[in-house]
Amino acid sequence: MVLLELFWSFCKIGFTSFGGLSMVPLINHEMLSHGWMNLSEVSDIVAIAEMTPGPLGLNCATFAGTRVAGFLGALSASLGVLSPTFLICAVAAVAFEKFRDSSFMQKVMSGVRPICLGLILAVLCSLSISNYAAPAGGVSLPALFIGAAALVALLKFKISIPMVIASSALLGLALIR
Amino acid sequence: METSQETNTCRKSRVPGLFWQFFKFGCYTFGGGWSIVAQMQKEYVEKRRWLTEEDLLDITSVGRSLPGLMIGNVSYLFGYHVAGFPGAIACVTGMCIPPLLILTIVTWCYTQVKDNVYVSRAMVGVRATVVPIIASAALGLRRAALTDRFGYLILLLGFVLYLFFGMNCIMIVLLGGLLGFLLSGWREQWKGGPSDGTP
Repeated sequence: MVLLELFWSFCKIGFTSFGGLSMVPLINHEMLSHGWMNLSEVSDIVAIAEMTPGPLGLNCATFAGTRVAGFLGALSASLGVLSPTFLICAVAAVAFEKFRDSSFMQKVMSGVRPICLGLILAVLCSLSISNYAAPAGGVSLPALFIGAAALVALLKFKISIPMVIASSALLGLALIR
Repeated sequence: METSQETNTCRKSRVPGLFWQFFKFGCYTFGGGWSIVAQMQKEYVEKRRWLTEEDLLDITSVGRSLPGLMIGNVSYLFGYHVAGFPGAIACVTGMCIPPLLILTIVTWCYTQVKDNVYVSRAMVGVRATVVPIIASAALGLRRAALTDRFGYLILLLGFVLYLFFGMNCIMIVLLGGLLGFLLSGWREQWKGGPSDGTP
């Protein structure tokens, strides 16, 4: 049952990440291990999710769900990624005063945050290998150039992410053969 | 928060408005949840005065520290705070519907044009930006994630376990949570130990 599998995958993704791009390693792992996507499609999700409105995790869930099983797949993946909100937050909202200084959660998260950062760096390595490889083998210099330009644009000039993605699409059109 | 009969009906009447407002938030947001928090601050703290600055800050920090989508958590807690359970559901569904619809259409288009020569050339360029985007986001997370030396050790552990040992992601994250819990408990005891431990 692919819908249930999607729901369960994104449940796991939702429960073991703390929002934003920290979901990428888990999405990467779930998509590859089920054979739902390859590495370059995972990169495409990230780029597309960053260019469209809405939170990244939800966008990724919708994209992956639609790719795997159409609109129903998108629905079950989204519900999966939202399940921590509906379960944990429901409890937290009732006991909000207690959760205001939830020392237990803070202690746990003080380990989860750095380990997620480690995972993100590890995924960056595997994505780099896939994204800067030339089809014929070796390193694709134009792709490397675009990546370096994007890094400078993001860090030095603080250009917004949708702008960076749009211009890199144009550069790709011009430079890639 | 007190809930007399009168404020109860008043809070219920907020639900449809909340749904619509969060639907609009869902349409406008680019690049993650912080812009939604900023819009909530403008609309509900400054304009309508439904809650104070501190309330919103508390909601945001609790929503952030729980697992899952930060903005889903924040919407849920905010909706619950101002209009109870129906308000929470209204905020979360309102916020999720626009990205769900937009992404379904975008994905459909992507599948149609993915194999076009020009599109795939452009996509090589787009993919080249994904690594810098994630890297710059990781740099932004660094301050929240790495509060002391243990943070760097845990980071290194996650990196090595994932890349070189191919350990399951979820196990690694759970291990991180356990380590965080043990280390901060240990640190507390170590700090408080000599002063109130032995008489």
